[in-house]
Amino acid sequence: MNIGIRRVGLAVTALLVVLIGQLTYLQVVDAKSLEHDPRNARDFLKDLRSPRGTIVSADDQIMAQSVPSHDEYRLQRTYPLGALVSQIVGYQSIVVGNTGLEKTYNAALAGRGRKDVFRNAIDSLRGKKPVGNLTTSVRVDVQLKAKEALGEQRGSVVVIEPATGRIVAMYSNPTYDPQPLAGHVTSKVQAYFDFINNAPGNPSLPHSYREIYPPGSTFKVVTATAAIDTGLTTLDRVFPTLTFLPIPQAPNNPIFNFGRESCGGDLIQSFTNSCNTTFAQLGLELGNQFPPHMQQFGIYRPPPLDIAPGSVASTGPAFNSFDQNKPRFALAGIGQGDVATTPLQMALVAAGIANHGVIMEPHVGRNVLDGDGRVVSTVPNKPWTTATTPATAAQLTQMMINVVKSGTGTAAQLPGITVAGKTGTAQTAVGEFPHAWFVAFAPAEAPKYAIAVLVEHGGNQQGDATGGHLAAPIAAQILRYLLIG
Amino acid sequence: MSGRLSPLAHARRTRELSLGALALLVTAGGYVLLALSKAPTVPPRLWGFLAAIAALFVCAHLAVRRFAPRADPTLLPLAALLLGIGFVTISRLDLNATKFDPAVAPAQSVWIAVGIGAFVLTLFLVRHVRSLARYRYTFLLIGVAALLVPLVPGLGVEINGARLWVRLGGLTFQPGEIAKVLLVIFFAAYLVEKRELLSSGSRRLGRLNLPDPKHLGPLLVPWGVAILIMVQQKDLGSSLLFFAVFVAMLYIATLRSAYLLAGAALFVGAVAIAYQAFSHVQERVSVWINPWVDSQHTGYQLTQSLFAFGSGGFAGKGIGLGTPNVIPVNRSDFIFAAIGEELGLIGTVAVIGAFLLLVGSAYRIALQARRPFSQLFAAGLATILGVQTFVIVGGVTRVIPLTGVTLPFVSYGGSSLVANFVILALLLRISDESAEEAEREVANQARLVAIESAHA
Repeated sequence: MNIGIRRVGLAVTALLVVLIGQLTYLQVVDAKSLEHDPRNARDFLKDLRSPRGTIVSADDQIMAQSVPSHDEYRLQRTYPLGALVSQIVGYQSIVVGNTGLEKTYNAALAGRGRKDVFRNAIDSLRGKKPVGNLTTSVRVDVQLKAKEALGEQRGSVVVIEPATGRIVAMYSNPTYDPQPLAGHVTSKVQAYFDFINNAPGNPSLPHSYREIYPPGSTFKVVTATAAIDTGLTTLDRVFPTLTFLPIPQAPNNPIFNFGRESCGGDLIQSFTNSCNTTFAQLGLELGNQFPPHMQQFGIYRPPPLDIAPGSVASTGPAFNSFDQNKPRFALAGIGQGDVATTPLQMALVAAGIANHGVIMEPHVGRNVLDGDGRVVSTVPNKPWTTATTPATAAQLTQMMINVVKSGTGTAAQLPGITVAGKTGTAQTAVGEFPHAWFVAFAPAEAPKYAIAVLVEHGGNQQGDATGGHLAAPIAAQILRYLLIG
Repeated sequence: MSGRLSPLAHARRTRELSLGALALLVTAGGYVLLALSKAPTVPPRLWGFLAAIAALFVCAHLAVRRFAPRADPTLLPLAALLLGIGFVTISRLDLNATKFDPAVAPAQSVWIAVGIGAFVLTLFLVRHVRSLARYRYTFLLIGVAALLVPLVPGLGVEINGARLWVRLGGLTFQPGEIAKVLLVIFFAAYLVEKRELLSSGSRRLGRLNLPDPKHLGPLLVPWGVAILIMVQQKDLGSSLLFFAVFVAMLYIATLRSAYLLAGAALFVGAVAIAYQAFSHVQERVSVWINPWVDSQHTGYQLTQSLFAFGSGGFAGKGIGLGTPNVIPVNRSDFIFAAIGEELGLIGTVAVIGAFLLLVGSAYRIALQARRPFSQLFAAGLATILGVQTFVIVGGVTRVIPLTGVTLPFVSYGGSSLVANFVILALLLRISDESAEEAEREVANQARLVAIESAHA
């Protein structure tokens, strides 16, 4: 019997030792990923009760801060600027979770970013809970300008520093007030959340980086770059002057110029006057070479924006689908058909040309500071993608200067400052008014700002709307404010 | 009183007392830390608390001194340690008590007192283990009846989908916990009586020697009934535990590995049938295989448990400083996850270590026992403690599919506490008996030597 007892005893002991093995796995090997799993409520609950840093704009305005509250959480997150910056800052919500900068920089705001063991120890001895204050590149005054310029019209404005990728303004109308979402009463928060999700125009969706639109002729910047880079054309190649271009595989659907006018000439003239026939032809000539060049500009991939849940990807025709679907490549040449972009992506296209072909990662965060104002971490300026060569970028700059000087974008001229830009009037669904676009950067010789303006479905001008008449003046207004004051 | 103890008994009881003092120190330390996590003052009720737990321990100790003075000195302090850690954890979880999830520490302290009462009573009533063997069929009957009681309409209550409880007056009780012990008595007695017949085998089937079904039947029938009842009551954990203990005891009694194989085959068959027949079994298995697929619903309990262990990490968040209130059923089935969060790997390994020592001591008692019945009975009780610990800790750490049983001495639960205290008392009784017999043998030998040398 003793042998049996020993063996069973050993077996049971072995079972208990297995438990120690599994516990070691859970509590040491896998511990970090379990602890910070997004489905683990602990970090979130801890953050709600802990001091949290402020989010400050580039012009020193508080965009988010925690103030004492008299409920069990002891702190209430407040958003003094409300709807003006909500699509950037986001919110911290017990009920629907965090979003925006509040989510991306959550750990930093909660003070978990500081690796300085010494200072952490000192603070912990002093009973001081660490917080991280986030400084950003957003300028509230520019946000306000964008809001005023759009007025009641639905649309988006995105302003970027081409050399750094810092976002100066990113506003879209409609927007929403984040304050009710940060409340602590579940039923009220849920009711408001449902309300903004069902409101007309979907204000809870940041249209500037999470909605895609046909970019129309602003996309000719991409088409022209691809055509020059592949050697299909030089600036002085002369294109036929046409009123429409017949399209292979679609004999009944030729592509007309805007207003059914005749249009043509060399590449510069075609670009300045935005000839659809020229760029549809280039789309066809590029064929399967076109999508890879779009990809170099960032199409097909979400830009690495630091605003959770991030940007959506812009779209284009499928790779290697030219033989099956030639008309889609002709349409892609003029920014229609399969091509659909976020306003952010079009601002990045302009920024890429402005920055000698290199598109920087778009970001809002700048520095995380500790409670004493020391820099804990810095958000780096990093190249995202190389859209083209400096030489081609210089040629595109020249073409875009011409658009504003003597082409479709004259409304964007500024006194004493050279503006490079491109207009777009994008057809949408049948029976809907077109989207008015304008992308630009200035000063053209040493670009400080790149901008994309989109006014949805004709805005106030309805059927008469064009990029040049509706969007370009808005861009000019904002660039004037930024560069002249 | 100590003057009448033999040197061995005296040494063992002294050791028990000093080890017990250590267990109380750990408990008191945990209690103070818990209070300090909420306010920077020593809790005003500390001395009262200390006096109460010391008094309870001394009660149990004095009973051992009086009724089983030579018994193993480690079991009681280990139980006290586990009980203390469990009580501090339950008190900590009570800090987040709500209307729907009320505080249970007061009830637990009453149950601890009741458990110690049952401990003393068992030591007092059961003076000789072999006397238990005599009432084996009575225990079998009571055991099966106890398993059946919750199914009686009007008496039984269903909690969390399992019908295991009896409500009498305001109190709920789980008679299955005590049935476990009674059925182990029956198995041990029956197996010892029939083990020759069971291990030799009288029928041949091909190359296999099969024991006469006449002898196997009385074992298999009550065992099958017990398992069916538990499956009917949806108490998978107890079924699993029962199965393992039965097979282990059969193997110890006969040393025939064919029983292990047959047991394994029966187990696989039973699991396959249960899997086909019961959706809750399927759910448990699929959650075990991947708890993350449906982490908000069926996988919620297990994933919350895993998060607790991970968040605790190596050193733990500290008593009162974690968020174990988000773990479901955290006072009973998942109490180990709460310990894992606040005490970390250090704490969980310490608890498993205490169980290793407890179970190890119990097997040592089985090995040192002088009579086959005592040996088998002690081994059965040791296996209950060990396997039950494995089933619940393995369940909450995703080593095996989760089945709800209590963690002995640690979890909240009156019936479980009482049953475990009875197991403890019976082990101490067996240990005392074998030590006493050994002592007597040594004395006889000495007398013999003295007589022989006198003759020489």
